[in-house]
Amino acid sequence: MSVIDSLVQVNRKIENTAEIDQNDVFDLIMLAGKILLENGAEIFRVEETMKIIAGHFQVNDLDTFVLANGIITTMKIEGKDSRTGQVKHIPLSPIHLGRVTEVNRVSREIVSGRYRVEDAMEELKRIEVLPYETKKLTILFAGIGSASFCYLLGGTLYDSLVSFFAGFVLYIVLIMMQKAKTPEMLRIVFGSSLVTVVSILLYSIGIGDNINSIMIGSIICLVPGVSFTTAVRNFFNSDYLSGTVRLVNALLVSISIAVGVGIVMLIWHAIR
Amino acid sequence: MITQLIAACIATISFSILFSTPRKEYLFCGLTGMTGWLFYLIAYNWIESIPLASLAGTIVVALISRIFAVNRRVPVIVFLIAGIFPLVPGTGIYFTAYYVFMNQMELASEYARETMGIGLAIAFGIMIAFLIPQKFFNYRGKTKKQDNLIKKWY
Repeated sequence: MSVIDSLVQVNRKIENTAEIDQNDVFDLIMLAGKILLENGAEIFRVEETMKIIAGHFQVNDLDTFVLANGIITTMKIEGKDSRTGQVKHIPLSPIHLGRVTEVNRVSREIVSGRYRVEDAMEELKRIEVLPYETKKLTILFAGIGSASFCYLLGGTLYDSLVSFFAGFVLYIVLIMMQKAKTPEMLRIVFGSSLVTVVSILLYSIGIGDNINSIMIGSIICLVPGVSFTTAVRNFFNSDYLSGTVRLVNALLVSISIAVGVGIVMLIWHAIR
Repeated sequence: MITQLIAACIATISFSILFSTPRKEYLFCGLTGMTGWLFYLIAYNWIESIPLASLAGTIVVALISRIFAVNRRVPVIVFLIAGIFPLVPGTGIYFTAYYVFMNQMELASEYARETMGIGLAIAFGIMIAFLIPQKFFNYRGKTKKQDNLIKKWY
């Protein structure tokens, strides 16, 4: 591309910035924030990204208030006396780091002037529905993750094999329950008791050497590592409220795991 | 030791797949988890305290995540979440539950304390690693910015 071409492009860019509809910019900002928050980004990243995009499109009077499960934004429309605003409820949902990464890239490219508002909007709409990893792959790797984790914490290869099956079955059921929109705590309690049943069954027919290592490997997919990490990151950036939401989530999930495992263990010891 | 590291790498990559991480970051997630586990093992052999070893492991994981994040131009949580997973106290949660339901409260409270300790250690580890100002990680980011400008003009 020659220099003239790029100058023309830059010129076009300047023309475009002159005739941007601020309502479109507002929609763009809200969508970017929604995708980020929904898929597990930290609060300050959501706020930062929204402000950066706004700044690039010459929207200066933007106020956002981001919580762990909602965004509140108002914006003054240039040349008018009114403000536009939106409240968006975003329930805690399974994270998708691919989408977060993509929005991050888009926001950077918006700032470097590579997108017009409509193009950016189109790109974000594509990112919003970016698929999760396929079910088969997730189920397989839930098993592999459980197995390698069991090995990591001192299990033998046979223990890992049992953990593999437990993790495998766990994710099949988890995905089914997610589809049926079961509440999270119920999902965790049921999932952890299921894992315990599978592990104990396989252990009782003689596969595996140590039930404790098997169990530790099997429940690892349920352990709230993400919530906990996000909570700490939010606390670090002084978002105490959102940090607390995540921390409470992590605590409740841990307790749910304990309940699920404990009940089955109790029954098993009573029967044995 | 080497099999342990390989297992840590595979475990981390598996978790990053569960979170739909972009495919080209898998290897780097694995490396983060592996190095974190390596330092956890070294620290554990040296001081023989699980919380302190977790602290060491977490600091290393968070630092490496920051380095990768700048170099790969990807949000830091992509590597942080995956890398921290091997250090999360699954063992503690399990044994606490087990002993509570077996009615052995002394052992249960011991494990509960340990779990809390590891949790706190991970939290502090992340905080310590993020206290280092961003400019120490930006050496590569600056040149990339210039690349971007050049691309824009040609």
